[in-house]
Amino acid sequence: MLDINPFESAKKKLDIAAEVIDLKPNTLEYLKKVERSLIVSMPVVMDDGSLEIFEGYRVHHSTLRGPAKGGLRYSPDVTLDEIKALAFLMTFKTSLLELPLGGSKGGICVDTKKLSQDELRKLTRRYTSEILSMIGPDIDILAPDMNTGEREMAWIMDTYSMNKGRSIPGVVTGKPIEIGGTVGRTDAPGTGMYYILQSLCEKQNISLTSSKVAIQGFGKVGSVVAQILSDVGCKIIAITDSEGGIHSDKGLNINKLISWKQQGKSLKNYEENNVKSITNEELFRTKCDILIPAATENQIFSGNADEIDCNIILEGANSPTTSQADTILNEKGIIIVPDILANAGGLSVSYFEYIQDIHSYFWNLERVNREMRRILLRAFEFVLNLSSEKDITYRTAAYAIGGERLARAHELRGLFP
Amino acid sequence: MELNPFEIAKKQIDIVAKEMGLDPNITKYLKRIERALIVSIPIMMDDGSLQIFEGYRVHHSTVRGPGKGGLRFAPNVNLDEVKALATWMTWKCSLLKLPLGGAKGGICVNPRELSRKELEKLTRRFTTGIINIIGPDIDIPAPDVNTNAQIMAWIMDTYSMNKGRSVPGVVTGKPIEIGGSVGRNSATGMGLYFVIDAMCEKLSCKLESQTIVIQGFGNVGGWIASLLYERGCKILAVSDISGGLYHSEGLQIDKLLEWTREGNYLKDYDDDRYKLITNSELLTTECDVLIPAAIENQITKENANDINCKIILEGANGPTTPDADRILFDKGIHVIPDILANAGGVCVSYFEYVQDIRAYFWDLDRINKELKRILIEAFEDVYKVYEERKIQLRTAAYIIAVSRIAKAFDLRGIFP
Repeated sequence: MLDINPFESAKKKLDIAAEVIDLKPNTLEYLKKVERSLIVSMPVVMDDGSLEIFEGYRVHHSTLRGPAKGGLRYSPDVTLDEIKALAFLMTFKTSLLELPLGGSKGGICVDTKKLSQDELRKLTRRYTSEILSMIGPDIDILAPDMNTGEREMAWIMDTYSMNKGRSIPGVVTGKPIEIGGTVGRTDAPGTGMYYILQSLCEKQNISLTSSKVAIQGFGKVGSVVAQILSDVGCKIIAITDSEGGIHSDKGLNINKLISWKQQGKSLKNYEENNVKSITNEELFRTKCDILIPAATENQIFSGNADEIDCNIILEGANSPTTSQADTILNEKGIIIVPDILANAGGLSVSYFEYIQDIHSYFWNLERVNREMRRILLRAFEFVLNLSSEKDITYRTAAYAIGGERLARAHELRGLFP
Repeated sequence: MELNPFEIAKKQIDIVAKEMGLDPNITKYLKRIERALIVSIPIMMDDGSLQIFEGYRVHHSTVRGPGKGGLRFAPNVNLDEVKALATWMTWKCSLLKLPLGGAKGGICVNPRELSRKELEKLTRRFTTGIINIIGPDIDIPAPDVNTNAQIMAWIMDTYSMNKGRSVPGVVTGKPIEIGGSVGRNSATGMGLYFVIDAMCEKLSCKLESQTIVIQGFGNVGGWIASLLYERGCKILAVSDISGGLYHSEGLQIDKLLEWTREGNYLKDYDDDRYKLITNSELLTTECDVLIPAAIENQITKENANDINCKIILEGANGPTTPDADRILFDKGIHVIPDILANAGGVCVSYFEYVQDIRAYFWDLDRINKELKRILIEAFEDVYKVYEERKIQLRTAAYIIAVSRIAKAFDLRGIFP
C-alpha cells in the first residue's frame, strides 16, 4: 500500500520517543543499528529433481537485554529491511514487557503454496543448519510468524537438536505441546488483549460489558478476542475476514460464526435475521465503542482515518495504523492501544514456553494466564503513567519506556572491547 | 567501468559453464554465496564520540573445506564487492587443490582517519562480531587492502581470548613470533617466478634470455623483479605510482630496490642512462614478458592492441579486463591468469595454517619447495586443458577450478 522502507519508518517511531526521554544521540544511533544480519542461501532438491536455491535472513537487532527473540516468516516478498524493522519492533516489545530478551526476526523468500510438505521440510531444515551458530536458547529463540506454525517449529527444534546431539526444545517457541510447547499459547494474543482492554475500561470508567465492538480479522487473534468479549457480555456488532464480513446492531453470535468458519465458509455468506454483509472498508466506518484491527498492517491509513467512529482502537495486528493515520486519530481524541502492548500476550506466552523448556518444568493454563496478566498489566501501568505524566500517546510512551530500558542496559554494559 | 563486481563474477561462471557444459543446477549453485554476515561495529572514538561502522564476512563456498580469504579496510567496501572476492577465492583454492573454500571480509572505514587505538578497537570488535563464522575449521581470514600483520595479530588475540586458548590458525599473515610463516612476504613473487619458468619451458625458450617489463614495484613487483634479475633476465622497465624507468640494456634492479626501500620514488632515481616513462607507456613497451603487478583494470580494450609482448604474467588481481582478454588472445599473447600466477600468496597462507594447526614450523627451503610443487602441478593442469581445448589459459584455469567444486558438490550432495 505505502511503499515506504519499513526499517526507516520503524526508526521514526523511536525518534519521536527519543525526544520524550532525552535519549543521548550516541545511544539513539546505537539503537537504530541492527547488531547483525545473516544472509544465507538454501539449495533444495525439489520433488521433480530440479535444484532451487532460496534466500533467507536472520537478524539480531539487539541482544543488550538478553538472548534475541523473534519470529520466522515465509513469504515471497520478504526483504532484509522488512526483517530488520520487525527485529527492531521485537526489541522494544521485549523491553516494554521487561522480559530478559532482545529482538530478532527471520525470513525466507518463498511462496509456501508452491512447495510440497517434503520440500518445505527440507527448506526449513537447511535454513536451521545455516543459521545454527546464530540461534539457541541463550542466543536467539525463534517463533512462528507469517506462514509458519507448529509444524515448522518442530522441524527446527529437531534439526537443531540433531546437530547438537541432544534435545534442545528451548531453541524455538510455538512448538506442539508434546515436544515442549506450552498450554495457552494459541489463545494468548486474544487473551492478552482482553486483559488490557479490561484494565483500560476500568481506568477510563467505561463499562466494558455494555460496549459495542467491531473486529477486523477472524483468525487466531480476532476469533479468540471476539469469543472472550462476547462471553463477558460485549456486543460484537461487526466482524470481517479477508473477503469481507457481517454486521448486526443486536450483536453477532460468535459461537455460531466460529463453527461456520470451521466449515471453511466465508463470513460474508453467513445468513441470519438482522445480519447484513459488509466490506472491510465499511467495517472501519461502523460506529462502535471499540475497534479491533486484528488482520494485517496498514489497514487504518490517511484514506479512512477520518471516518473512524469509535472511542478505543486496540491493535491486535502488527502496525495496522500508518503514522499519518495515527496523527489524525490522536487529534480526534481516539485512544489507541499500540500493537507492541496490545498484542504482546503472544510474546509473553512464548517467553513462558522458553522458561518452561529451559527449566524442564511445565505450568498449567491457570498459571500461564495469571503470569501473562501480571506482565501485561505491569507494562500497561508504566505506559499509562508516562502517558499522563508527559501528555503523550500510549504509542510514544510505550516506545519511550522500551527505549529508556535499552539505553540503561547499553550504559551499564558499556562498549566492548 | 562501474561494473558490479559480483555480476562480473557470475558472468565468468556462465562463460565457463557454457564452455564445459556444466549441469545447470550446479551453475545455479555456484552463482550464489553460502552466507553473508553483516555486522555493525560501534566504537568509542578517542574524542568520546560514538561511531558505528559496518563490516562484512562472506563465505562463497565451503564445499572443499574451510573458507579462506582476506579482510580489507576501505571506505568504499560494499557487500557485492566482498561477495565477488569471496567467489574468486573459491576458484583460486580449488585450482591449487588446497582443501579450502572461498571467503572474504571487509569493513567500510578509512583506516587513515583512525588512531591506532581506534583501529585496534575496530578490529577486535569486528572479530567478536563474526566469531561464530570464523575459526581454523570454519573460515581463516588473511591480510588484504589496508590490513597487515599487526591487524592479524589483534584478530588472533581476540579470537583466542574469546575461546580461552591460543588459536593461531584462525588467521594467516601473522607476525612470525605468534605463529606466522617464513617466506610469506616473498610468496607471491616466488610463485610468479616458478610459473613463468614453467611457461618458458613449455614454449621452449630460456627464461634468462627473456626481456621483462614490470608494472608495480611493491611487495609483488619488487620480489619478481629481483628474482628475474638474479636469474639473468633483462628488466627493461619497472614503475611505481610515480611513473617508470626504462633502459634498453636492462635496469639495475638491486640498486633500484635499495632506492625504493629507503622510501624514494622511482622517478627520482638519478641515472642518465635511464629514461623516464609513464605507466601507460610502460604497458606498451616491447618485451617478451609483461608483468602487471600493481592494481586491477590496467590492460583494457583501449590499450590491448598496443601491447607488444609474448606473455602476460598477472601479478595483480584482475589487471586485464574481459574485453582486453579477447583482443590479446586473438593477437596470440599468452595471458597467465591471476588465479594461477599470483596464487603463491594464498599458497603460503595455506602453509601457515597447516603449520599452525600442527604446531610444527617449516624452514624457508621447505616452504619454497612445497610452493613450487603445488604451483607447478596447477600450471601443468591448466596447460593440459589449454592445449586440449585451444582456449585461453584463463578459461582453462576456471574450468579446472569449477569442475573440482562441481565434483565436490556432487559427492557431498545436498543436506538434509
